[in-house]
Amino acid sequence: MLFLGKTRLPLLLSRLAAEYELFAPVPSGDSHRMARSVPGLDPVFPPFRLSSSLRAFWLQPARVLATWSARGPAPGPEPKPRAIIGAKACDLRALEVLDKVLRGQDFVEPAYAAARDRHFIVSGDCTEAAATCFCTLVEGAPWPERGFDLNLSPAGEGFLVEAGSGKGDRFLLAQKDLLDEAPATLVAERDRRRAQVREQVDRQNEMVRPRSPYLQSVGKHLKTRLWGELAATCVECSACNYNCPTCYCFLLHETRDAGEVKRISVQDSCFHAGYSRMAGGGTPRLQLTERFKNHYFHKFVWFRETFGITACTGCGRCVEACMGKIDKRKCLRDLETRWIPTEVVQEL
Amino acid sequence: MDNAFVPMPAVVEDVITETPTIKTFVLSPERPISFRAGQFMQLGIPGLGEAPFTPSSSPFVPERMEITILRTGSVTNALHTLAPGAVVGLRGPFGRGYPVDHFEGREVLVVGGGVGLAPLRALLFWLFHEIDRVKRVSIKYGSREPAELCFRRLHEEWGRLPKVDFTCTIDRPAPGWDGRVGLVTTLLDGLDVDVKEAVVVSCGPEVMLKFVTLKLCDLGFPPEHIFLSMNRNMSCGMGLCGRCNVGPFYLCKDGPDMCYADIKDIPYALG
Repeated sequence: MLFLGKTRLPLLLSRLAAEYELFAPVPSGDSHRMARSVPGLDPVFPPFRLSSSLRAFWLQPARVLATWSARGPAPGPEPKPRAIIGAKACDLRALEVLDKVLRGQDFVEPAYAAARDRHFIVSGDCTEAAATCFCTLVEGAPWPERGFDLNLSPAGEGFLVEAGSGKGDRFLLAQKDLLDEAPATLVAERDRRRAQVREQVDRQNEMVRPRSPYLQSVGKHLKTRLWGELAATCVECSACNYNCPTCYCFLLHETRDAGEVKRISVQDSCFHAGYSRMAGGGTPRLQLTERFKNHYFHKFVWFRETFGITACTGCGRCVEACMGKIDKRKCLRDLETRWIPTEVVQEL
Repeated sequence: MDNAFVPMPAVVEDVITETPTIKTFVLSPERPISFRAGQFMQLGIPGLGEAPFTPSSSPFVPERMEITILRTGSVTNALHTLAPGAVVGLRGPFGRGYPVDHFEGREVLVVGGGVGLAPLRALLFWLFHEIDRVKRVSIKYGSREPAELCFRRLHEEWGRLPKVDFTCTIDRPAPGWDGRVGLVTTLLDGLDVDVKEAVVVSCGPEVMLKFVTLKLCDLGFPPEHIFLSMNRNMSCGMGLCGRCNVGPFYLCKDGPDMCYADIKDIPYALG
């Protein structure tokens, strides 16, 4: 394990900036946001994930998927590679979800795949939990275990540094002059800090801790009426989806300008009534309760069955963003505890 | 890797008016497109948008593709104005297509409604070509009125083929129509098939699929032998954009033809 003294961090980042355009958290109101960073800046490491997810770095709300003209496909300019500083474990787990869908199947979403390849991710352990954090309820932890290029864990007067990829290994190899071998006491300190934050997340979610996997507790509600009650205050604003780091649904549209056609994908949300509307006007999920249920089933049942992971990282941004004060953790607890077989609705 | 969001240009060679609202576009793609019956294409007008259609032509003729289109929305309205010589864009094929291996040695009941006969025509081409591999093909087709019967020019020819029978009906009596009257489900009364062994493939409006399926189940067809061409908004075609799910399935990659056994417990799968 390697150690980086706090005072050496700006130098390490300036070397990173020689290869990448740097983005790092900056204070914004009572929270933080990502901003383009200048070399030499001593970055702020927020205690927990930012209010906004990092999704827009790899899945811009509107992105060009293809450009072509009568002469054939026209490649766009190659954007500069970027380094993101301060990603948290939930941000990295969201990338696993997105990777499964957008570059892990027969077809690849080209804009996403290119964006993933050109990002270098420097993550960090959470040093506190936000009130809405619940990563430990969805098999996560408040420290990164994979998915980063470099991870920095606060310890002593600096950081324990770990590489999590070939890119990270290569970069670290060139920084030997800044790094020391970490003493075992610092590793023990890191583990102690991690356990404390984990305990904080566990403690604040004690009342909503599931007794059975969400796959089962949500999965048994395919035909029950509880959804109407859970969705009672939903105003269909889609803030939960737009703030979710794992939501990836999009709408395709095209523009044509001087013979050049662009196929553009625009972020969409399954909460919109017109989301699955077909030509002719038919909409399979006309009722909000069906769309609400679809959201939960997608994240906790169907995605898990198809790809082996849950499409929720427990970041809690949906809880923070909800205007109807719907707390996903409480909905999930209700789905587990309020199971009344006689409520099953008979369908075709 | 090729970008599957870039369409292949195709020239409209011919436009056949099937009914007042349905046209068949005969397309010559820049390169031959191999597809399995039931797989679908995204057909678009560059700059306007695209919509999903299952080819109505033979899967054995990859260099010329026919797509039969009902005028029902912005893209199909624009497509209906095209004349021979126009250039359109094609992406695909997408989806899995009909499970034709499952048809081996069985009676195949093909139930279509309205323009739903278009995707089924590609399957009929396959069945007619491979007729020795199945026991029999029975086509049941319904439409609202005589003027809306799709491929009317071909019905008689199909009915004359060996091991093939064709029956059609219209929903309501109409002047000059002396054929059967009643919903397509009435063609399922008194079927002369082994319901436990036969397979059924159906395509049509969602409400038709629902009542055809109910009837088939009443008649004793096992859900495992019923295949439905489902209706959803399939946009990207690759299971990426998320719009066309029926429960855990994305019709664009797992369908669009689904085995009823797989979807029967999903609420509102059939509307």
